[in-house]
Amino acid sequence: MSSDETQAITLTINGAEKTLTVRRSEVLLDALRRASYTSVKHGCRTGDCGACTVLLDGQPVHSCQIRAVQAERHEVTTVEALAYPPQPPLRGGEMPPSASGGAGGVLHPIQQAFIETGAIQCGYCIPARILVAKALLDRNPNPTEEEIREAMAGVLCRCTGYVKIVQAVQRAAAVLRGEKVGPFVPVEATLAPGESPAGLLGRYYEQGQALPLLVISPPEMEPLRVVGKPEPKVDAVRLATGRPVFTDDVKLEGMLYGVLLTSPHAHARIRRIDARPARALPGVHAVLTCHDIPRVKYASGGQSYPQPPPFDQVVLDDKVRHVGDRVAVVAAETPGLAQRALRLIEVEYEVLPHVLDPEEAMQEGAPVIHDEPDTEGIYDVQRNIVHHIYAEVGDAEAQWAKADYIFEGEYRTSQQQQAHIEPHVCITYWDEDGRLVVRTSTQVPFHIRRMLAPLIGLPVKRIRVVKPRIGGGFGNKQEMILEDLCAHLTIATGRPVRMEYTRYQEFASSRSRHPQVMRYKVGVTEEREVVATELYLIGDTGAYGTHGLTVQMVGGQKGLTLYNAPCSKFVCDVVYTNKPTPGAFRGYGSMQCHFGIETLMSEIADKMGWDVVEFKRKNWIKPGEELLLAQALGEGREGFAQVIRSSGLEQCVQVGLEAMGWYNKRGNETWRQGDKGTRRGIGMAVMLHGSGIAGLDMAAATLKMNDDGSFNLLIGATDLGTGSDTILAQMAAEVLGVPVEDIIVYSSDTDFTPFDKGAYASSTTYISGGAVRKAALKVADQIKEHAALMLGVSPPRRGGWGGWELRDRQVFAPDGRSLTLAQVALSSLHQQNQHQIIASASHMSYESPPPFGAQFVEVAVDTETGQVTVERVLMVVDAGRVINPITASGQVEGGLQQAIGFAHCEEMVYDEKGHLVNPRFGPYHVYKANEMPRLEVIFVQTEEPTGPFGAKSVAEVPMDGIAPAMADAIHDATSVWMREVPFTPERVWRAISR
Amino acid sequence: MKDDRVKEMWSIDADAPLQSVLDSPECPPLLRQTLTGTISWQTRDEKPVWRALTSPRVAPQWVAALLGLGATVTVERGDGPDEVPLAVGAGLPRPHALHVPLGGPGRRWGEAHVARTPADEPIVAALAVVEMDGSAVHQARVALTGVWPEPVRLAEAPSRLIGGLLDEERIRAVAEAVEKEVAPKGDFRGSEEYRRAMAGVLTRRALEQCLHQEEESE
Repeated sequence: MSSDETQAITLTINGAEKTLTVRRSEVLLDALRRASYTSVKHGCRTGDCGACTVLLDGQPVHSCQIRAVQAERHEVTTVEALAYPPQPPLRGGEMPPSASGGAGGVLHPIQQAFIETGAIQCGYCIPARILVAKALLDRNPNPTEEEIREAMAGVLCRCTGYVKIVQAVQRAAAVLRGEKVGPFVPVEATLAPGESPAGLLGRYYEQGQALPLLVISPPEMEPLRVVGKPEPKVDAVRLATGRPVFTDDVKLEGMLYGVLLTSPHAHARIRRIDARPARALPGVHAVLTCHDIPRVKYASGGQSYPQPPPFDQVVLDDKVRHVGDRVAVVAAETPGLAQRALRLIEVEYEVLPHVLDPEEAMQEGAPVIHDEPDTEGIYDVQRNIVHHIYAEVGDAEAQWAKADYIFEGEYRTSQQQQAHIEPHVCITYWDEDGRLVVRTSTQVPFHIRRMLAPLIGLPVKRIRVVKPRIGGGFGNKQEMILEDLCAHLTIATGRPVRMEYTRYQEFASSRSRHPQVMRYKVGVTEEREVVATELYLIGDTGAYGTHGLTVQMVGGQKGLTLYNAPCSKFVCDVVYTNKPTPGAFRGYGSMQCHFGIETLMSEIADKMGWDVVEFKRKNWIKPGEELLLAQALGEGREGFAQVIRSSGLEQCVQVGLEAMGWYNKRGNETWRQGDKGTRRGIGMAVMLHGSGIAGLDMAAATLKMNDDGSFNLLIGATDLGTGSDTILAQMAAEVLGVPVEDIIVYSSDTDFTPFDKGAYASSTTYISGGAVRKAALKVADQIKEHAALMLGVSPPRRGGWGGWELRDRQVFAPDGRSLTLAQVALSSLHQQNQHQIIASASHMSYESPPPFGAQFVEVAVDTETGQVTVERVLMVVDAGRVINPITASGQVEGGLQQAIGFAHCEEMVYDEKGHLVNPRFGPYHVYKANEMPRLEVIFVQTEEPTGPFGAKSVAEVPMDGIAPAMADAIHDATSVWMREVPFTPERVWRAISR
Repeated sequence: MKDDRVKEMWSIDADAPLQSVLDSPECPPLLRQTLTGTISWQTRDEKPVWRALTSPRVAPQWVAALLGLGATVTVERGDGPDEVPLAVGAGLPRPHALHVPLGGPGRRWGEAHVARTPADEPIVAALAVVEMDGSAVHQARVALTGVWPEPVRLAEAPSRLIGGLLDEERIRAVAEAVEKEVAPKGDFRGSEEYRRAMAGVLTRRALEQCLHQEEESE
């Protein structure tokens, strides 16, 4: 019997006997998804990510590693089995009653616990994780944290840092044991006037115990009703129950499967490509090559109009510039057939010399990567320099003359992959009106629509882009990766087409973090004042420009304004190489440049014998100061002047020093002595980021009132697992005086939601939040106006509704009378002066207030092997007013996990021919649950006057300081400075051995 | 080679999943330790013992531990089943059963490894098992991962311990000999030079654990 032959198997799925017809070679994952068990996810097909986990006879297995026929006569459990059917219809934000809470419960206590603890971010891995938790608790009702982490280690998470996942399992275990659990809330502490935030700590933690999530408020900060509360995510129930909410969870009638042929060469010209044998294969409906698609130049980075040049890409080219570059696409009846067709495409390559090192690429005589005549705007084609950036402020001559000491340091960072668990996936189809619908896992639906139109020859009005739930993006989905290819296949075939990247393609053909070489120079006086800084930066943008310009500009701006010397100079070359293209990745140049400047500042303090904290404190940017390079370095263009209006950096550092016991450990030889030849060290770094792109980012929101006094919130903002739908609902609810469950969120659909530039640049809370707040205020005024009509009260003549208030689902007049919002809604829709209470608002800002933070790391260094173990990480964050402490801390914890990976182990490595040697989760290695250090998060709230409710961003600032804090800690332990990430055992061993 | 100091043998059906090995109360601590951390629960559930023995990438440390413990396997020969010492590598016959000698009173063991992160696959790991006869070493086995394409038990270097005391000087000599004996190939996680150096360091550590370990009570 061949592997393609089918057979019927009988098995029990979720308690019911089922018969499935499967191919002999088909894995259980595919058989289950084909049978509509869409909670079973796919992320790698190599047994590394664990997203496909199901229970086979009660034991967790990777369904991608088990053939369906092996499950015959066995019992399979998916997460669909856990929630007790029939599930009632749920509204966004509505929590069904707990299974542990009495009659009518629909959720399993594990699902309930995952929702309550905020353990669900993107939710892609959650069905697998809940099943593992169930298997664990079935065999061990009272597991230790270590046992939970060990069980969870087989399911990778890129969002959460695993903190809340462990808490969820602990909470579920307690509930299942019959114990009572209290509400899952952070510890909130308000400072008394004059009280130091550091002094608070003693109240909340015991020595040696992990700190609880702590939110510290200044004395003058007024608590709000909904904003600031740990509301469960509005999409949490959908995700916990494994409902079909992701791009790939739908099947369309007649859908074809698209696959991509990629280049095996780092640099080559396609001399001949013959698709006829592939096209001749029955069941193949389209094969497209460079000969079939018009040559339209574009840049794939999802950025605002006009995108930064150069437009150095075409959909399919006759030249390939990296291993993994696009060659051809196929659409066929089945994935297997499409793969067979790929193998039949005959390609004759003229292999060209290639260059992988950016410094070599800049040399005269290096292979020219973009020699095509139709790309404009490359700074120096022959030397592969796509951009040369120069920015300078201050009187260099005078400032450098003041410097008593000049320090220089070179720092290098690696190419990190976003490693979101859900791959890029896209489905395109024609709707009944002949409009192209693009259902895609994207962070930028509106940019995709605009960018796609010229490539496929359709006007924007004939394209609709829909973003369902996303299984993580972290910047990698701020690119047009598959949408154009998939759209071309639908246009060519007239059929719905689904395309998805393999995990290999995620590494070789999507985007990653720009590797950088940084040469910093810092001038310091005897008085420990930083008077001048310079940064020369080489940014490796791989084969194409996309985000090459903007990432390096942001890096320069952040790297040189943290200490904001009176004179700063930034010079940068952005260089093409024959490597897979870096793009947007959370941290966006800033984290690389923070590694350089923060490590050099620590090195200076060490060399001079200065207290590192005091030295940094004396020089970091303070409230009221202008970020001197902000105007010169915007994102891809000139920016806008920025002044620091709020900063909790000083308090963050104070709290962190106290929480870590810094002065008892730093330099303490007794504390440094670890077990078995290890030496311990403690390090710290400070950081700033931004909140959106000043003067560029814009978001809009629409709020519409329904008959029952609930509201539809329509937003273009793109929740990629961050919880932005939830916090935006909280903002609307705060203004409208209703609970979050009365706000029904619909987001990210270019036909039905207003414009939003998308989820990037730490902008959603600040920019999209600003739009939601404005729309809500307008709706609130309309409600008051109609209530005045109903109550027979004249509305105020010059606007202003002083004395009117919305709270508890009611509107209160100054005279104390009230109406319910449902009464107002029914009246406005049906009875008096009938009209729809509805408002839209847009928001942009010329400011981008930086969130601040301080990060502290403890490490143990094995001085014989060079292995570094991260033992403890604390981040104290000033994100302005925190809109939701659970989702915000989840953002920080997840960011810390990625930042630790960047500093410690993650690196895309190539052989001499430009092939990746580690394009899998296993050898690449993403931190797992059973190896995470103790992670702690404290918020020090401030009021940012330009932010909605005083908020700033929180998504990216956690990325910035881990690498330099780790370098500082390794130095504290060993006296060696690590100037290249990741800090692998061999690198550390060589540094120590030197 | 048959070891007359071994009290008894623990036999495992080669079709059993790795998880059943871990769940067995008879599982020696060294095997237990090498089946957790880097290997997921899911992998242990879906991979049978024979697969781990014939595909050394599945559980290399565990296989090295088996080599260190002197495990044997039953394979089918033309003339019937035959129990042979565990060998690792491609093309070997699929075993039917795995036999692990349970520790005698003089058994000591040690494990040391280096990895990028605590739960990453080790770059190099060393596993040492020493059977003591009074104060003298009766048997010494050292197995390593990361210095050969598959886990390997070193023949020459550990034999220097046999018949003598287990002390730091002799351990150091063995570690130096191990550095010379191994033939690692470098990759992105560790160069040849690094792996060779680590083979020595980690062998020394594993043997030092044996030196300092209390005799196994079981």
